[in-house]
Amino acid sequence: MYSVLEAFARWLESTWWGTDVRTTIWGYPFIQLIHFSGLSLWLGTNFALDLRLLGLGKKRQTAAQLRNALFAWNWIGFCVVVLGGFLLFSSTATTFILNPAFRWKLGFFVPAALAWHIFVQWKALGWGQTPDTPPVARLAGLTEVVLWLCVITAAVEIPNY
Amino acid sequence: MWEALEQSSWVQTVAQTGWLYASVSILHYLTFFWCVGSIAVIDLRVLGVAARGRTASELAEVLFPWAWTGFGLAILSGFLMFATDAGDWAPDRVFHVKLLVILLAVVATVLVQVGVPRWDASPTVPTVAKIVAAVSLLLWIGAILSASEIPALEGLG
Repeated sequence: MYSVLEAFARWLESTWWGTDVRTTIWGYPFIQLIHFSGLSLWLGTNFALDLRLLGLGKKRQTAAQLRNALFAWNWIGFCVVVLGGFLLFSSTATTFILNPAFRWKLGFFVPAALAWHIFVQWKALGWGQTPDTPPVARLAGLTEVVLWLCVITAAVEIPNY
Repeated sequence: MWEALEQSSWVQTVAQTGWLYASVSILHYLTFFWCVGSIAVIDLRVLGVAARGRTASELAEVLFPWAWTGFGLAILSGFLMFATDAGDWAPDRVFHVKLLVILLAVVATVLVQVGVPRWDASPTVPTVAKIVAAVSLLLWIGAILSASEIPALEGLG
């Protein structure tokens, strides 16, 4: 199984996009820009909803209203994140797959946080019908914040391994 | 002066305690994503491409407090990271560009924040509003880009 992954990683590194990101002076910063811009939209809209579910901030809009207002750009942000992330990964895929921080990030925390986010975004419609949210909604919002914090922590640790 | 900052005891503590420095770094990433993301949604709403079900004022009311909270914490965490290596960061031109772009982005964002209540009062969004919002968005993207360029061009960070 691992040798398949390694072969895939080597192939990615050899592609034109993997090579460009790795070898050109402009490649890495611009792709990091894409990844971070997407993350700004994705995490910004995630946290706006989570904080609302936690009962923090202005309450004129219900959590359900906020959830609907931010839905499209939340997922547009996600697509941009994945695009940037895929390109970054392609540049030095063989080292990423060996990096324990990266494995925790993409192998565990991102799937967990993403699944939880989808659940919270779906439930927010019901929980967020009134200005005050039920305790379970607060817990769910807090859990999502913690999970994405774990993703960022793993990402920040990548250069250390 | 920068060496003195770098050598001061509290800065040394941050620089040398692994988990503390990592936490500051995580906070910086978290808060700037949060700040820029909130502002981006408002700019996109003014531009008419996001959250059209709500008015810009409604979104601004919810998101601006978070944007500025995130900004404040991003400045604080950024300063801490800067301080740990102030001697190297202070003269760096790309870092100067980053700070300048952030300053311009803040100005543009304040213009958006002040403008939104007025713009919402008119039946259609004025062109000047869209220009200011677009400039704000581009400047924040520019801030992220200059931050990404620092390690690529200067080997710092």
